[in-house]
Amino acid sequence: MPPDRAAPVLELRGISKLFPGVRALDDVSFTIRAGEVHMLLGENGAGKSSLIKVLYGAYQADSGEILHHGRKVAIASPADARRLGVAVIFQEFSLVPFLDIAQNIFLGREFASRVPGHIDHRGMHLEAAKLLELLGMDVDTHTKVHRLGVAQQQLVEIAKALSQQASVLVMDEPTAALSEHETERLFKVIRRLKQEGVAIVYISHRLAEVFELGDRITVLRDGRKVGSLAPSETTPDELVQLMVGRAVDTSYAREFCALPGELALETKDLGSERGISGVNIEVRTGEIVGLAGLVGAGRTEVARAIFGADRVTHGEVRVFGRPLDGGPDASTRRGVALIPENRKQEGVALIRSVQDNLLLASLARLFPRRWFDPAVGRRVSVQKIDELRIATPSPLRLVRYLSGGNQQKVVVGKWLSAGCRLFIFDEPTRGIDVGAKAEIFNLIGELVGRGAAVLMISSELPEIVHVCDRAYVMRGGRVAGHLTRAELTEAGILRLAMHHE
Amino acid sequence: MNETSALALRPHRLRAALAATPGVAYILLLMVVVFGATSKHFLSGANLLNLGMQSAILLMIALPMTLIIMSEGLDISLGAVLTLCSVVLALMLVRGNGLAVALAAALAVGFAFGLANGLLVSVVNMPPFVATLGTFGMAQGLALAVTDGQSVVGIGDFVQQFYEGGVFGIPVPIAFALGSYALSHWLLYHTRFGSYVFAIGGNREALVLAGVRVNLYHIGIYAFGGCMAGLAALLLTARMNSGHPTAAIGIEFDAIVAAAIGGTSFERGDGWLFGTVLGTFAVGVMRNGLNLLGVPSSLQVVSIGLLVIVALFVDGLKQRS
Repeated sequence: MPPDRAAPVLELRGISKLFPGVRALDDVSFTIRAGEVHMLLGENGAGKSSLIKVLYGAYQADSGEILHHGRKVAIASPADARRLGVAVIFQEFSLVPFLDIAQNIFLGREFASRVPGHIDHRGMHLEAAKLLELLGMDVDTHTKVHRLGVAQQQLVEIAKALSQQASVLVMDEPTAALSEHETERLFKVIRRLKQEGVAIVYISHRLAEVFELGDRITVLRDGRKVGSLAPSETTPDELVQLMVGRAVDTSYAREFCALPGELALETKDLGSERGISGVNIEVRTGEIVGLAGLVGAGRTEVARAIFGADRVTHGEVRVFGRPLDGGPDASTRRGVALIPENRKQEGVALIRSVQDNLLLASLARLFPRRWFDPAVGRRVSVQKIDELRIATPSPLRLVRYLSGGNQQKVVVGKWLSAGCRLFIFDEPTRGIDVGAKAEIFNLIGELVGRGAAVLMISSELPEIVHVCDRAYVMRGGRVAGHLTRAELTEAGILRLAMHHE
Repeated sequence: MNETSALALRPHRLRAALAATPGVAYILLLMVVVFGATSKHFLSGANLLNLGMQSAILLMIALPMTLIIMSEGLDISLGAVLTLCSVVLALMLVRGNGLAVALAAALAVGFAFGLANGLLVSVVNMPPFVATLGTFGMAQGLALAVTDGQSVVGIGDFVQQFYEGGVFGIPVPIAFALGSYALSHWLLYHTRFGSYVFAIGGNREALVLAGVRVNLYHIGIYAFGGCMAGLAALLLTARMNSGHPTAAIGIEFDAIVAAAIGGTSFERGDGWLFGTVLGTFAVGVMRNGLNLLGVPSSLQVVSIGLLVIVALFVDGLKQRS
């Protein structure tokens, strides 16, 4: 019987999901039909992942309902989702490294043999081999997954989802790691599944794919559905316009740098062990330079390579005119500070006092005779607290009791007292509530005002556009383009980041 | 046979085979050569048999320890649980129960402790080291409490006769060891349970997403350890013809050593069950050989510590090259 194309398999109605301080999904409705590829678009943090998580039961929606073939259902766990025929191809691999390909494909659904408790390995390998052949993957199914490259692991992940013979198949950027040839192969499989009446939800950042495969496009922004259209009725430009234009807090508008100072940071053809290559970046004192791009484009990797946290395999880094090599300690001695995204794990010692944290990186400088002088410690930390207007009742207050914004100030204060002049911020506003964001940007603005240079990584397009003097946009481990102040718009960044010039 | 000559003809295959052999195999070989040369008793049939019988109990603890470590866990209570099981077994026999009833009691005690460990680690989400440190203290304390710190003697001759008997000509302890290995091998490589051991250590989230009741299997791993301790208690009690409240102290250390030098990884869900057998022999040969050479037991502990470091160092070198 031919599948009924028009019939919705799954229908999400008015789905909302709240997290403290964030509305991840706001009244989103989403219909998945048999034999249709439904494209899900949106920039970083637009709510795509949250929507997928609601679909496979990792999140419970706070309000709204889910209909399966018109009947109201609850998806309370991944097992529930699986029972309804929903399979997901995850971007972060859900593979077990020391099991073989067949065991991974059928994890949780092992074939039983006639001996009770015994797994039918032969049957599993036969089935797995068929699936790999379908995907054009010529690898022995007995190979342990940890021996495979990223692309092959992605294919195993796809085979795993296909093997569930799902009626709804969700793919989260399945081609991100695939070569052109493998991508074509996957598209062929997708078209065949479509013919068989499988409903496909497909998340992609490649606009070309959206038009090549999609039957319907839904665009999310700030957790809301901002458009639902057919590919024939729209253009790449219109999609980009729909994705950008997020609500902007303009309270941190700053005066841009008219006359940049000396060259603080220069990378020449930089490449690292973590997959970036050919990166050429310049940052001068007095400037805030943005490093934009989609998640996974290699921004953090650039920061880590500059700082010496990852091994540089190619090119060089120059700081204030002199080459920089050696590990993170060499970098801090040369006045480079990296303020990582994961502040609580890498940036501050939460259970120590504000004073301890502020002095941590400059102990050797302040106390050359290796003898801690409490009076000096107190004086220096009080001075920093005043300078940065850190809201703390006392220098001895534990950092964990401060707000996110003030914690961030403590991190900056630490590197300032160590004499740093080049600051690299990785997602400085991650996990900081809206009110404190302006404070962070004022702080960064003050830093460059005092002659420091700042390289700022951010996934928030409005932040880059409103804060930075200019920006580099990364894609696939390389710098895809540079935007001057005049060229710096959200759409401009997104076009470069998504490879649509 | 022909296979060795075929290997010799293809040097690249020989090199690959050498690279694939874990460090522990070379160390074991080296020790056999050294002890064989320095002690004329070492390679005698009687001593080798003795070696096998001594290693049986350790192997029965090291096998489940391997599965536990593969699941990113640790069970330092196993030695104390084994001791408690042995004491319980002896007490039951002294009170006139049959061997089957006594063994069932020992197995039940082992299972209960394994269950407790599994619950604490998987459901309560305690670090395995801390959880099993707690149950270690309880098992050790109970063993001392129920015996008043004295050996439990007078369990009758038939247990010892059983120990000295054989199954199809194989001495009972060695038959137990072989059976335990076969069971563990089947569980790890041929059942869902085994696949999930790899998965719990390698990517627990993947199992959750696959809709598997992960806690159940996680508890099962520790429960398997407890049961093996209960079974090993039979051998321990028989060997000493009594129940002694400090009999198996520190065996968990040797078991962790055996798994570690056998190539079990502490953080990636990787392990090799036969490597644990080699590791067990390495520990056994070390102790046996040093005994024959008259080295005091305190220094034997030092040598076993050294053994771990050397074995892991060799593996580290090979991984880098």
